[in-house]
Amino acid sequence: MKRFVILLIVLCLMVTLLGAKDITLRVIQVFTSPERTKILETIAEQFEELNPGVDVEIISPPYETAYNKIYLMVSTEQPLDVVEVGDWSLAGMASMGKLESLEPYIADSEMTPHLIKGVVKSARIYEDTAYVMPNAVYVKTLFYRPEILEKYNLLTPPHSMGELMAYSKYMTDADKAQYGFDWRGIDPVNFMDLVVTSFFDDIDPQCMYKTTDGKIIFEDPRALEGLTFYLDLYYQTAPKDSINWGFDDQINSFVSGITPLLFQDPDTTGLLNSLLGEDHYQTAPLPVGPSGKVYPTFGFGGWGIPNYSENKEMAWKFIEFFNSPEISAYFCKNYGALPIDQRVYDNDPYFSSNIFAGWQHMFADPETYRFTDYPLDNPAWFEWYQLQGETQQKILLGRMTPEAALKEWADFWKDAGL
Amino acid sequence: MKNRKRFWFIFWMLVPVFSVVGFLSIYPTIKGFILAFQNYTVFTFNRIRFIGWDNFEEIITDMDFLMILRNTLVWIAVSVFFQLLMGLGLALLLRKPFKGRGLYSGLVFYPWALSGFAIGLLWSWLLNGQFGIVNDVLIKLNFIEEGIQFLSNPDTAMLSVLIVNIWYGIPFFAIMCLAALQSIPDSVYEAADIDGASGWAKLVKITLPYIRPTIISTVLVRSIWIMNFPDVIYGMTRGGPAKSTEILSTYMINIVYYENDYSKASAVGVLVILLLLIYTILYLSFSKGGEVEI
Repeated sequence: MKRFVILLIVLCLMVTLLGAKDITLRVIQVFTSPERTKILETIAEQFEELNPGVDVEIISPPYETAYNKIYLMVSTEQPLDVVEVGDWSLAGMASMGKLESLEPYIADSEMTPHLIKGVVKSARIYEDTAYVMPNAVYVKTLFYRPEILEKYNLLTPPHSMGELMAYSKYMTDADKAQYGFDWRGIDPVNFMDLVVTSFFDDIDPQCMYKTTDGKIIFEDPRALEGLTFYLDLYYQTAPKDSINWGFDDQINSFVSGITPLLFQDPDTTGLLNSLLGEDHYQTAPLPVGPSGKVYPTFGFGGWGIPNYSENKEMAWKFIEFFNSPEISAYFCKNYGALPIDQRVYDNDPYFSSNIFAGWQHMFADPETYRFTDYPLDNPAWFEWYQLQGETQQKILLGRMTPEAALKEWADFWKDAGL
Repeated sequence: MKNRKRFWFIFWMLVPVFSVVGFLSIYPTIKGFILAFQNYTVFTFNRIRFIGWDNFEEIITDMDFLMILRNTLVWIAVSVFFQLLMGLGLALLLRKPFKGRGLYSGLVFYPWALSGFAIGLLWSWLLNGQFGIVNDVLIKLNFIEEGIQFLSNPDTAMLSVLIVNIWYGIPFFAIMCLAALQSIPDSVYEAADIDGASGWAKLVKITLPYIRPTIISTVLVRSIWIMNFPDVIYGMTRGGPAKSTEILSTYMINIVYYENDYSKASAVGVLVILLLLIYTILYLSFSKGGEVEI
């Protein structure tokens, strides 16, 4: 018996020693969903196969609490090698002083010449240094349901904000539960701004909320025109319930056909492909405003390396692997995102299909679709995100006038030193 | 010598308990108090300092603070009142044995076993103005012509979250009251019957006085829980539209979620503790003498 127990212990030790990997790479994601976790795990397995001795551990906190968890883990220097950071939180994360500058890695990487224009620049939000390497980019475009538009004899998607309103009004019939625009009441920042700024022809390419002569847009009479127009989209063409809609509600409404015109990011494509099928929706460029222009922004999710990580080289290797054309195509196709490597667009026909028509058109015409940035490095950003949503709801509920809201927004940004 | 030995024995026996309580309960509370007076936000992790009463000032001068406070009071008072009333009624109905009581009790009590957040999400879909089953049923029964915007209209949003919270909390009161009811000796009721007491008289003179201590403690505990219970509201409205269903505990979550300002959220937490402390003192002094007096 004694001998058997000793033999068992020795066997266990041998298995443990033989099975132990040399490096455990701890990767934490932010935008967690069951599907995304599966995709990341598949990629991690492929990386492990190519790198014997490396064990990749994907940590997937629930999305709602992911940032708080990452902030706390990084600030207390808990073992992490690769952390995911979204553009909106990058400045906060980088200001903690715990992220490694990726500039030297990017400078030496063979993938750098192939990155699409503006990607690395967009990651230099804090101190003009890239503390993350984007793994995909997100730009809003117009999603539409061709078969529903065709029922109303609308054979092309709306090209301008005026057409968007006209189309939406034309289709709206509350008795038939048919509406036009897929409005969003919760966290509306990047929806309202797209419409409001389209009334301007002089938005600062560095800041969404300033004109080229340095004035805050909310003090300009054109902001009131734009805001009134945006509110009219709600009053006249959207379900009243959409005052309380977030992402899920928007998608449900689009899929069920209640609102066939939607502004959204490419991560919507993954969902729509499974819920609706690739043939039942298309994208078109964002409608231009009265200025003949529209001002989208580059959003991104990216990987960073904590500066206390003991596996920085391996962490960068993982990031490079993740962004390699094949893996990037797999990730972007399944999750729904725009790849950062030009080679993916050139080699994979999926990314030149109708689904991507909206983005292709916008990227090809920088004069009309003028990319700008949000003031994400401003500490007031998080508060703004909440304030804009709340004031929007107050206007719709008649508790505040659009003029008062614009004044509050202008004062907010003045106080924040914009 | 013997006393000293005894002292150290008791001391070492208590150390594990106090360590656990201290680590899990006392330390976070003290830390929360300290945070409330600091500037602990995502942007200032490296520059944390004491800023006095600034966080409290910011909260109290928030234009919506009074509304949030009023919402909190309504949320607690209405929820507890109806949960108690209906929970007690349910317990009285379940007191006497009848066929299938076990199954019936199980069905009635099951909401209590579900997660509050899941309940919130579930009801947010049931009450959805566009796709909700409640609206669908009402329209098909010809009670209404178009869907009611239960959660999008501030007038109905608070009412909706309250109804769900009441529904969710009834079983807890029912369980507590039923346990207390079952401890009343039958002989008391038999004596009342002999004296010719009516049903109402038995309820007022026997039942309620007997279960009074249970009711007092349950109301107190429930009030505290409900004040610190953002799950249903968060699942249904996240405090919206335009803060019309915002209570202090959802306000605290929203501050962390949107502003990543842990100090300001802690200051709200401190306010919640102070309010609960005042409430508990007042409540216990008003309901003094919880003993049974028959």
